[in-house]
Amino acid sequence: MSWLPDQAPGSNPLERVYGLRPNLFEAWRDFALLFWEKRLLDPVLLELVRLRVAQMHQAAFPLSSRRPEARAAGLDESKIGELDQWWRSPSFSETERACLRFAEQFVLDAKGMTDEQALPVVQALGEPGTVALVEALAIFDGFGRFCRMLEIEPEEA
Amino acid sequence: MTSPRVRPPANAGSDPISGSALGHQPEALQAFLRLYGTLWSHGIVDQPTKEMARIRNARTVDCVVCKNTRFAGAREQGLTEGIVDKIRDGFEASDLTPRQKAVLRWTDVFLSPEPEPDEELRSEMLRHFKPAELVELTAAISIFMGFSKIAVSLGGMPESLPLRIEKTPDWPA
Repeated sequence: MSWLPDQAPGSNPLERVYGLRPNLFEAWRDFALLFWEKRLLDPVLLELVRLRVAQMHQAAFPLSSRRPEARAAGLDESKIGELDQWWRSPSFSETERACLRFAEQFVLDAKGMTDEQALPVVQALGEPGTVALVEALAIFDGFGRFCRMLEIEPEEA
Repeated sequence: MTSPRVRPPANAGSDPISGSALGHQPEALQAFLRLYGTLWSHGIVDQPTKEMARIRNARTVDCVVCKNTRFAGAREQGLTEGIVDKIRDGFEASDLTPRQKAVLRWTDVFLSPEPEPDEELRSEMLRHFKPAELVELTAAISIFMGFSKIAVSLGGMPESLPLRIEKTPDWPA
């Protein structure tokens, strides 16, 4: 439970914290959901980078959820179970590897991104797809940190 | 200048945001501009405070465009270049106010590999900000960080730029 002394009404810990700023929360959610609703990227790829970024931040709240679009597109828990050592696993495609490598560099040091890391992503996703990926990474990176800062954690069952 | 990894679309205009590579995803761009406009012009935290956090982030991520942009509203509300000059490593020894220093500490923790404030910093922030303001400030830093990381990771960033005063973002027309 967040350490903030106030809470907004809501059905989950995120709503009770971010809901303290309702118009901002609504605008953020509209932006964040667009990537799934409009399928700006393959949902399996999007879910893999979302969860990998959450793993890097040890952010329990985003790690506790699964996007239904990715599940419907075939992403299962066995592959997610290999995500924290994706580079050792044969389960990940070349495109997924390129995007996971890119995602990790984005989180750790975006300025240090090299052409060797970026160009395979541009080749695989095209320019619009690459823009969608970096925008999604910006959301995931920021959200993981936001949850850690304000102690937004999943509720115990 | 590093070479851009993604070029703006052929029909992009001259606006620094919508005319950039972000124009490849027009719906996402509109949603982002609405979010950014809400943050800046329909928020509850004063603009100089958000601008200080934005500039601290810009200098940490090293986004040349973000570092050299100033939003007019924050200036009009008293954020001078003299204050901006102190948003650097070593700010603790400056004559910034305790509230301003707390904002920079908060930003630094957010951007760190372990984004978890200790009890002392939490208490300090709650002395200066209501919980709803703290949510807005933290969300603001997440948006600033994300936007600047997008800019630097897509490449094409110049080595330097002159200072540019921009209208405070508001909802897109």
